[in-house]
Amino acid sequence: MEFVSPEGLRLDGRRPMEMRQIRAEIGAVTKADGSAVFEMGNTKVIAAVYGPREVQNRSQQINDQALVRCEYSMANFSTGDRMRKPKGDRRSTEISLVIRQTMEACILTHLMPRSQIDIFVQVLQADGGTRSACINAATLALADAGIPMRDLVTSCSSGYLNSTPLLDLNYVEDSAGGPDVTVGFLPKLDKVTLLQMDSKLPIDIFENVMQLAIEGCKAIANYIREIMLENTKQLEYRRGI
Amino acid sequence: MAGKPGTTPTTYSPSPTNQKIRRPIFNENEVDWVRPDGRGFHQCRPAFFRTGAVNAASGSAYAEFGNTKVIVSVFGPRESKKAMMYSDIGRLNCSVSYTTFATPARGQGSEHKDFSSMLHKSLEGAIILETFPKTTVDVFALVLESGGSDLPVVISCASLALADAGILMHDLVASVSLSCLGKNLVIDPILEEESYQDGGLLITCMPSRYEVTQLTVTGEWSTPKINEGMQLCLDACSKLAKIMRSCLKEATSTSQE
Amino acid sequence: MVGLSLGEKHFIQGGIAQDIRSDGRKRLTYRPINVETGVIPQANGSARIRMGATDVISTVKAELGKPISLQPDKGKVSIYVDCSPTAAPMFEGRGGEELSTELSVALQRSLLGGKSGAGAGIDLSSLVVVEGKICWDLYIDCLVVCSDGNLLDALGAAIKAALSNTGIPRVQVAAGASGDEQPEVDISDEEFLQFDTSDIPVIVTLTKVGRHYIVDATTEEESQMSSAISISVNRKGHICGLTKRGGAGLDPSIVLDMISVAKHVSEQLMNKLDSEIAAAEAGEDES
Repeated sequence: MEFVSPEGLRLDGRRPMEMRQIRAEIGAVTKADGSAVFEMGNTKVIAAVYGPREVQNRSQQINDQALVRCEYSMANFSTGDRMRKPKGDRRSTEISLVIRQTMEACILTHLMPRSQIDIFVQVLQADGGTRSACINAATLALADAGIPMRDLVTSCSSGYLNSTPLLDLNYVEDSAGGPDVTVGFLPKLDKVTLLQMDSKLPIDIFENVMQLAIEGCKAIANYIREIMLENTKQLEYRRGI
Repeated sequence: MAGKPGTTPTTYSPSPTNQKIRRPIFNENEVDWVRPDGRGFHQCRPAFFRTGAVNAASGSAYAEFGNTKVIVSVFGPRESKKAMMYSDIGRLNCSVSYTTFATPARGQGSEHKDFSSMLHKSLEGAIILETFPKTTVDVFALVLESGGSDLPVVISCASLALADAGILMHDLVASVSLSCLGKNLVIDPILEEESYQDGGLLITCMPSRYEVTQLTVTGEWSTPKINEGMQLCLDACSKLAKIMRSCLKEATSTSQE
Repeated sequence: MVGLSLGEKHFIQGGIAQDIRSDGRKRLTYRPINVETGVIPQANGSARIRMGATDVISTVKAELGKPISLQPDKGKVSIYVDCSPTAAPMFEGRGGEELSTELSVALQRSLLGGKSGAGAGIDLSSLVVVEGKICWDLYIDCLVVCSDGNLLDALGAAIKAALSNTGIPRVQVAAGASGDEQPEVDISDEEFLQFDTSDIPVIVTLTKVGRHYIVDATTEEESQMSSAISISVNRKGHICGLTKRGGAGLDPSIVLDMISVAKHVSEQLMNKLDSEIAAAEAGEDES
């Protein structure tokens, strides 16, 4: 199948190095301590953060740092065909773990010993790149909850189809079976915290593809920063400062 | 069961619900159609109750309304599970399940979640939970044969089993349902009538206190009709409670002898 | 669970008794309702309803299926509710299942009518394509995103809004198929059929706190309730379903009084909701 046309356009009309339109909004869940919506094209996720608060299950308490927990769930209507999967299947357990590890790496957990932070991500629409969208939404929600972090961790994926590196794969490109590299990146520290790839790639091409994903992460980080600045300005305005 | 009531037929024949051709059981134009089992519209099936059906349980009861047969056993009050948080009132745990042979088509024999929560909601208002803090009472209901109006029978039978277990209650809980078929209200419907009903109404109440603990309505109803239906059900409930009470009295008098 | 101090409890109860609630509302006033339609493009119809902090999404998906043999002239509708853990940490894992089932059952009871289909908001016979062979199966999936009380009313309203947003593709049946053969169908991409949603009832939940009833209770107010009755009322003023919650017993005359109050409130809610839905649809068409 042809994923990049001779004119250099992808199936949805994007250029190979073009990202889908991203949109973010802070404070979608009123009752949560922090929350955010993140959209990448048709992919839409909500993240809510509860905490830091008392540890619910005493046996899980850690005495010198905070306990970070994460649950990823997909709405029944999030995919094209209606699905009715039981909660906690292997895929969502794996993604929960990935998100938890990524977020734990950037939260300053040692500042909040004997407490618990819950991150819940809910996929409303899935069109490829849910992992990345979830991490981006979780970052914003954590920032909204005022939880101290080393840096804003952002995530983006890239792939390699028809001998072309492609940024931010959608569902059709993702299910083509080609390599799919997901990167989690700390822009200020210039460090990669998450790196996942399925399928195989020669090492020199892999470097290019990964670099592309990192560029994507940087662009998202800039956008997230803008959104947060905007949000802070509004808060200031409402307080009348 | 030990004592068969005189009202049920002595020979057993399978209920004719799995007929190939289903004809409507009533004709709307006909004013005086008869119910499949020959009852009047406002006539309940003969009720039979007996306590002490399960020896291992702290209290139990068996109920038989026509073809509907249920058995309810109550365990406890016993210590709540360790994982549960401290609670200064008792907990009630209800579960309603069907046997695999309860329905005309062979079933799964699994728990009926909807009925379980309905049973819980109907009973919790009647039980004085303050009398057994930190403990749990388990109510297990098993529908041996489903012949219509299963839930009301389960609820009435469960309250009798709770009484048999010596758990303090404000009052016995009696429950009656009715179906709306065309213009008519039919009390205590059988399976066939239930599958054709335009609407259904279920009331559980504590007759001596004259309080409704649970009420559900399905289908389209006008206000006067709801009034009429509720009045009919409440009436039937108080009569049913009398039968339940006499069954309890009978059980205690025989044990004293 | 809501942790409230004794003082807060008294404040809420006292406010309700004096007909001015903690957020300034009267006993029978709803919070502002915000309707957004077409939020999930992948579904045939969708809507998001916000009432104060309560936030729910409802979607309708239509799939072709086979009618059940007992009712060959009727389509199928099923309603599922899912409580997202984003709404409250206690819905994590399987924690939300109990509430989800309770809400699903209550919605089915309120909106789908009796067994024979009388009083249903959706006319099931309109979903049949070929009698006995093909019909539409409507899957109504709801998601609770944020919960601040009165979920049932919000979900009922969201389903109504989602159904009025729903377009079902027109189906062409290929002629010639006879007997037991499954006829071939052609689903149109362009022509859509709209639902008539005027018959769909609205759900009004009256929460009894002390001696008074309130509508649209928040989580804090719900924690103070002795019992609540959810009544679904259609445009004709007929009752299409009723569910009682809360363990405490009620006098039958109070139940009847609550029904009449709910009928009165439902008229206002129905009109308000209809205008909000119309405004949301108009807004969507423009953008």
